[in-house]
Amino acid sequence: MQNDALLHLNLNRRGRISRRDFLQAASLGVAGSSLLTQFQLNAAELKKTGRSCILVWLAGAPSQMETWDPKPGTPNGGETQKISTQTPGIEIAGYWPKIAAVMNDIAVIRAMTGKEAAHERGTYHLHTGHRMLGIEKFPHFGSVVAKELGDPQSDIPNFVSIGQTLSSGFLGVQVAPFIIDRPGQLPDNVFNATPELRQRRRLALLSQQENDFTAAGAEALVKEHARLYEKATLMMKSPRLKAFEFDGEPATMQAAYGKSQLGQGLLVARRLVEAGVPFVEVRTGGWDMHNNVFKGMERRAPEVDQGLSQLLIDLKQRGLLDKTLVLCMGEFGRTPKINARPPVPGRDHWVKNFNLLMAGAGIQGGQAIGKTDDNGQEIVDSPVQVDDLFRSMCQAMQINADMELHTPVGRPVKLVESGEVIKGLFG
Amino acid sequence: MLQRGRTQRAGSNTWIIFTSLICLLLLAATLDAAPKKNTKKKASPPPLNLPPLKTQEQKMQLLGYIRQTMPTHRIGSRISFSSADLDKAFEQELGEGAQVLAKTIDDETFIRRAYLDLTGNLPAPEKIKAFISDQDKNKRSALIDELLETEAYARKWARYWTSVIFYDSEANKNRISPQTLEDWLAEQFHKSAPWDYITVMLISATPERNKAKRNDYGQDFGPNNFVLACENKSTELASQTARIFMGISIKCAECHDHPFDNWKREQFHELAAFFHPSTYSMPDKDDPTVKTVVQPRFLLGEKPHEKMKEDARRVSIAAYLAYNPQNYWFARAYVNRIWSELLGDGFYDVDSLGPDSEVIHKPVVNRIAANFRYKDFDPKWLFRLIMNSKIYQREMRTIHSASELFTAVRPSRLRPDVVAASVENLVGDDKKLHQEIMQAFDMNPSLPQGALEGSIQQALLMMNHATLQSKLSQSDLKQSLVKIESKEELVQELYLNVLARHATEQEVLRNIDYIKDSPSREEAIDDLVWVLINSTEFRTKR
Repeated sequence: MQNDALLHLNLNRRGRISRRDFLQAASLGVAGSSLLTQFQLNAAELKKTGRSCILVWLAGAPSQMETWDPKPGTPNGGETQKISTQTPGIEIAGYWPKIAAVMNDIAVIRAMTGKEAAHERGTYHLHTGHRMLGIEKFPHFGSVVAKELGDPQSDIPNFVSIGQTLSSGFLGVQVAPFIIDRPGQLPDNVFNATPELRQRRRLALLSQQENDFTAAGAEALVKEHARLYEKATLMMKSPRLKAFEFDGEPATMQAAYGKSQLGQGLLVARRLVEAGVPFVEVRTGGWDMHNNVFKGMERRAPEVDQGLSQLLIDLKQRGLLDKTLVLCMGEFGRTPKINARPPVPGRDHWVKNFNLLMAGAGIQGGQAIGKTDDNGQEIVDSPVQVDDLFRSMCQAMQINADMELHTPVGRPVKLVESGEVIKGLFG
Repeated sequence: MLQRGRTQRAGSNTWIIFTSLICLLLLAATLDAAPKKNTKKKASPPPLNLPPLKTQEQKMQLLGYIRQTMPTHRIGSRISFSSADLDKAFEQELGEGAQVLAKTIDDETFIRRAYLDLTGNLPAPEKIKAFISDQDKNKRSALIDELLETEAYARKWARYWTSVIFYDSEANKNRISPQTLEDWLAEQFHKSAPWDYITVMLISATPERNKAKRNDYGQDFGPNNFVLACENKSTELASQTARIFMGISIKCAECHDHPFDNWKREQFHELAAFFHPSTYSMPDKDDPTVKTVVQPRFLLGEKPHEKMKEDARRVSIAAYLAYNPQNYWFARAYVNRIWSELLGDGFYDVDSLGPDSEVIHKPVVNRIAANFRYKDFDPKWLFRLIMNSKIYQREMRTIHSASELFTAVRPSRLRPDVVAASVENLVGDDKKLHQEIMQAFDMNPSLPQGALEGSIQQALLMMNHATLQSKLSQSDLKQSLVKIESKEELVQELYLNVLARHATEQEVLRNIDYIKDSPSREEAIDDLVWVLINSTEFRTKR
């Protein structure tokens, strides 16, 4: 076991944590942190798949006809033009020239069909793979990934979200998203000005104080407290914290992602994935275009176009795209028919057919899966259910989609209830 | 408010007509419940010309009338159930060879526990000292009485219920007002309003949108906010009413018959129909586009008059909920919530009871619930009953299994507002810090203590928050500690102020050593305060 562990320390893909740092951090652990268990758990990490996922969430539900399934020249098409892409035969809306240029790495799913046309419920469905029905709160897919693929002893969280998102539901706070609001800055309260020796004295005294409380009957709470303080202390000292900042990132790279909050968020996402975080969500709002959908697209699309295309280029250049699943989606689609609502028409909620992008992690790029009719109102080929999508996400992440989760009342539920992996997605 | 235990005299002819209509209504219900003999076509019911329910008072009158038609037990005043009776009942329930019972807590643990439970604040050092030196044998009981009359008591529990109602609400933030609800609840708890009255006010609300004013959905009237939290949706109102006021989970029955449960899908939709403004249709299980009309029916079978309007129907469901003595879920759900908050464990999970077989120590909780009803749902009665018992006054212990329940008190995580109050008690009010603590220590008030978990953010905040650290090192507490000559006295003051108890001998020695080994007294004090606010005990009810 220990040989494995030492082997692993050398193989550690983070590479940056030295053995000395590690020992020091462990010796600072408040209570109950035996070095051996740390080694064992790290050894267990060897078995993990090394896959990661970046979810780009367009909150508000982007219009399919203004993204990856334009219908210019039809009554429902509106002002949106189409452009050709790097992949012959695939055309997307004109707002997305940079995405068009990397289409060979992207699979467009054009025939998504869902069940929830309200924001909250759709968001829940597309984040958990389950509809919001029972009393159970299903976990965010990111929490499942953090649980299955994350190192439980990791010195930074296994699931980071840039912007508020759903939580870990019944999987508990251990795999809850660590939420940051401002990309490019360290998380709150990780900086401690206390000199190391003094901090160590404090922690030592705290640990004695804690032992007394255990003796008084609060054993379980004290244990958890120790674990969290140990994790927090590790995190404060973690060299990987740098991943939250742009330290050492050339200015040209920041510029390439775009100066927007989303662009910078995607750069942080790439840095986190590189540092070994298995799941990162990056959110951007403003896609609920009931009014003024065409002007709205002109305003909102460029930053996603730039940031997302650069993310794919960057991941590929670093050799990370093969192991990183990139998803770009919202909670549902928008009505093919343009509403006549003044002052400027837009599109309303529509769940019958919508679309999204998938890339990386073994997904065959340069293809469009599924087809809608000329009016964009019916799926005419290869509909994809939310369950199918989640099954495919599991496949990309090498997680067993039939795994059973246990709800707090002990009801066993499958991670993905039904469905099939999207045909042809993985080539 | 509703007068209890006596018939209200109808003030006008309208109400006499009204009463007879209610009798008709009842008659119709009875006929309906009787086995059908010759199922000839039933004559359609007579039209129901209720006077419009414009004011809360009219609603309460209608409620009173419906209540009178119920076979309510009127034995309450003759039955007594004391804390000693409760302890006895438990002894019987636990039987011989029971688990070893934890010892009774000392005075200083009691005063801290009682303050936290009844006010959400820690007792001040002078209160603690005075309480310990008080020679009165009944001082614990007197303290409970005293705290129940404070504003802080009303506020704490108003906050709790507001959080219960809003925690999972998905309502648009511009259409609700949790603060107004909290204020209204605080007023009710302060004046000892009975739980049935509070429930009825919440469930029977029919908020109306005022289009003349932007974002005015009636949220400025406190009791409207339960319905608004449910977005006035029939299905949501049905499941939240069952969840919060009956402690049962029937939401799954929206889509399927619950596998382990006695609630059928149809029952869920009948309950939802009660809250619907007009005709309610239930979607087919397999094909949601196919819908069948369902008639409103309460879970125990009561039906409203067919011609009743929405507002009157909501009053009647509240009446069925609270006053049908067969609906033991209502009183028991409240009892279980409070018990769970006070003891750290409930007799069942507070809002997700399936079949009744899940209830632990059922005879005891049913007896408390029955007596809560006899005591006219007086919230303070329940606090007195529980807090004066030996069960409540036992030392804490980590509870591992169901058989250990209530042989000791489970150490409980303090709610976010209580943690914030404990911190502000040391550093003074700070809005931003308060907000950050509320966020980091956020917890679902309906989850059992055993299912809650802490977070890294909590640890980081308490260890490193820059404002908190700098305010602590300039705090009044620190200024006063620096001036204390005797190290022992210093340590005692520190513990009394931060943890609301005296330091043990061992703690005194340990802390004195720490001071001696530190470069300066100031630095040592900063460190000792840091250690205590970062201790598990600081965020725990022991």
